[in-house]
Amino acid sequence: MTLALLAGLLLAAPERPVIDLSGGRVQPLPMAIARPYPALETSAAVEATLVQDFDRSGLFKLLDPASFLTPANEGFTGIDFSKWQAIGAQALVKMDCQSLPADVKCEMRLYDAARGQELLHGTYTAARTAPRQIAHRFGDDVVKFFTREPGVFQTHIAWVRETDADKQIMVSEWDGSDPQVLTGGSINLLPSWAPDGKTIAFTSFRGGAGAHLYTVDAISRQVRPLALMGDFSTGAIYSPDGTRLLFSSSQSDNTDVYVAKADGTGARRITDSRGIDISASWSPDGKRAAFVSERAGTPQIYTMAADGSEVRRMTFQGNYNQEPAWSPKGDLIAFSGRDEHRVFDVYTVAVDGGKVTRLTQNQGTNEKPAWAPNGRYLLFSSTRNGKRQIWMSQPDGSNQRPVTSEKQGASDPAWGPLPK
Amino acid sequence: MTSAPASSAPPPSALTPQQRMPRGPALLLAIAFHLVIFGAAFLLPRLFDRPPPLRKPIIAHLVAQGRPRDPRLLPRKDSPPPAAAATAAPAPAASTRTAAPSAAQRREPTRRELMDRALARAAGKASPESREPPDPERAGTPEGSVQGTAATAEEGDAYFTAVHDAILEHYVVPSVISERERLYLAATVLAYIGPDGRILKHDFQKKSGNPFFDQALELAIQQTKLPPPPPDLARSLRNDGVVLNFRP
Repeated sequence: MTLALLAGLLLAAPERPVIDLSGGRVQPLPMAIARPYPALETSAAVEATLVQDFDRSGLFKLLDPASFLTPANEGFTGIDFSKWQAIGAQALVKMDCQSLPADVKCEMRLYDAARGQELLHGTYTAARTAPRQIAHRFGDDVVKFFTREPGVFQTHIAWVRETDADKQIMVSEWDGSDPQVLTGGSINLLPSWAPDGKTIAFTSFRGGAGAHLYTVDAISRQVRPLALMGDFSTGAIYSPDGTRLLFSSSQSDNTDVYVAKADGTGARRITDSRGIDISASWSPDGKRAAFVSERAGTPQIYTMAADGSEVRRMTFQGNYNQEPAWSPKGDLIAFSGRDEHRVFDVYTVAVDGGKVTRLTQNQGTNEKPAWAPNGRYLLFSSTRNGKRQIWMSQPDGSNQRPVTSEKQGASDPAWGPLPK
Repeated sequence: MTSAPASSAPPPSALTPQQRMPRGPALLLAIAFHLVIFGAAFLLPRLFDRPPPLRKPIIAHLVAQGRPRDPRLLPRKDSPPPAAAATAAPAPAASTRTAAPSAAQRREPTRRELMDRALARAAGKASPESREPPDPERAGTPEGSVQGTAATAEEGDAYFTAVHDAILEHYVVPSVISERERLYLAATVLAYIGPDGRILKHDFQKKSGNPFFDQALELAIQQTKLPPPPPDLARSLRNDGVVLNFRP
């Protein structure tokens, strides 16, 4: 009887509903960057660069300085966090810069405005001619603090400047600022950084004997031949450890993927299908590579072991998929694919599971994706505003921003390595 | 000396002990009885204080108006339903065929426009931005709703779907949390809902360990306005609450 009573009580107990919630909107963290005080030209440059970096990163929503309730001379001590909370700030950056004879020295601090705690502080020094470096370094430290991943504000990107007469290999900061020409005339394409960040391999028609592979020193701008084999060679890409190269070469009317030493010697063919095999991209561990093959009748994305074995088809949707780029995190391969409207857009395919995600849509032609070294951003070329330009976005397609604004166009982006 | 005859023996005293039950069974019976008493004293309160058993209602969504997509084609980007477009962060990849204006070019809404939008939302009307035609190639069914968010239909619990959607509208994950960390972040909140739909109180049963994520959940719960629960659920939602499992 007692047991029956207990069972009855148990059965009569109400049920508590459980609701699973996922898929919250990913939104930037509200951040205030306090105006530097005293207002020096150099500190203004640091502040402006920091604002640009954080805004472009998509990680922070920068609050309008016009809404700030505290005086500019609030300083580091006695911060009234309630006034920063009142404007919605969750993170607060403060800086105090001094101009020295040859340098700029800035004390930079990051606070959790909601809890009134200091999260990060440091003193950063740079040449007076390069105050942006202070912002980039502190910005990367802030990104590392929040995301536990390296930031990209100190990185450089390479791309191709298109003119009527030629195409030149260019290098700029990650946001497109300070563009520098690395190569002279001729048609130069498909830049690819060596992991040391000093050398860029590229494809060039210089010499008048078709397209072949060359390198250019990012500092001295000295160009050297890398591989001059076959009818043409194209798309050199360094392995993550910098010891090997993948590229495509055409011999006897058959284009295949080759692997060679980093200096271009010892080239060995690793694909052997009757269709075109091209556009190889290393996996981050250097053990596999993604590439494009026509072996199934239409260009599709495949992966293979670094010796050409264990070929796996990755894409089954669409009938023209090309330009694979394997994410530094290893989980995604970005590519450009032609949709049913015959327009190329950027997609990713999950290495495990094969799920295809679209990043761009109804915004001109979008091609040639290239990953940031931390895997948080992609560069690609887009014709959405007329001339082809370099754009960047996050891997889900959000936060798309222009990077270049070249008169006649820009293409073939490649993101450089993280600073050592 | 002679002994007295038995029949002449005096009657036994009332204090004389009666013939007893054998000691062994009596002892066992007493032990069993005490075990039941102490066991009941120990277990019953626990049974009564036990949290209610958990039940997962089915959260279903309106089927989007669109057309089934050929699986051999490359996918299209999900375009948000019109009502959500007013509140969701605008994705730069616009669903229109014209070029999307950059963040710098986008005009900030005036105070008056913001007020109009807020009033329209409060009145349940679509805001001006939501009047854009839906993507004609959106995955769904021709009979679906413009407001729909699902590609296929399923039956669900209407009230808990409304709770789910209302919280989701305010559920923001700070983008500073890396994608890798988002894979394993999870928090559980027990929320008690009043008869008018107000969240009377909430307790974190399990925090995520990331202060910015937990802070975002606090904000989402504070900002959420729920519809009043139906009469058959009102008492249990007020007294026993609802468990909210958050994952990014």
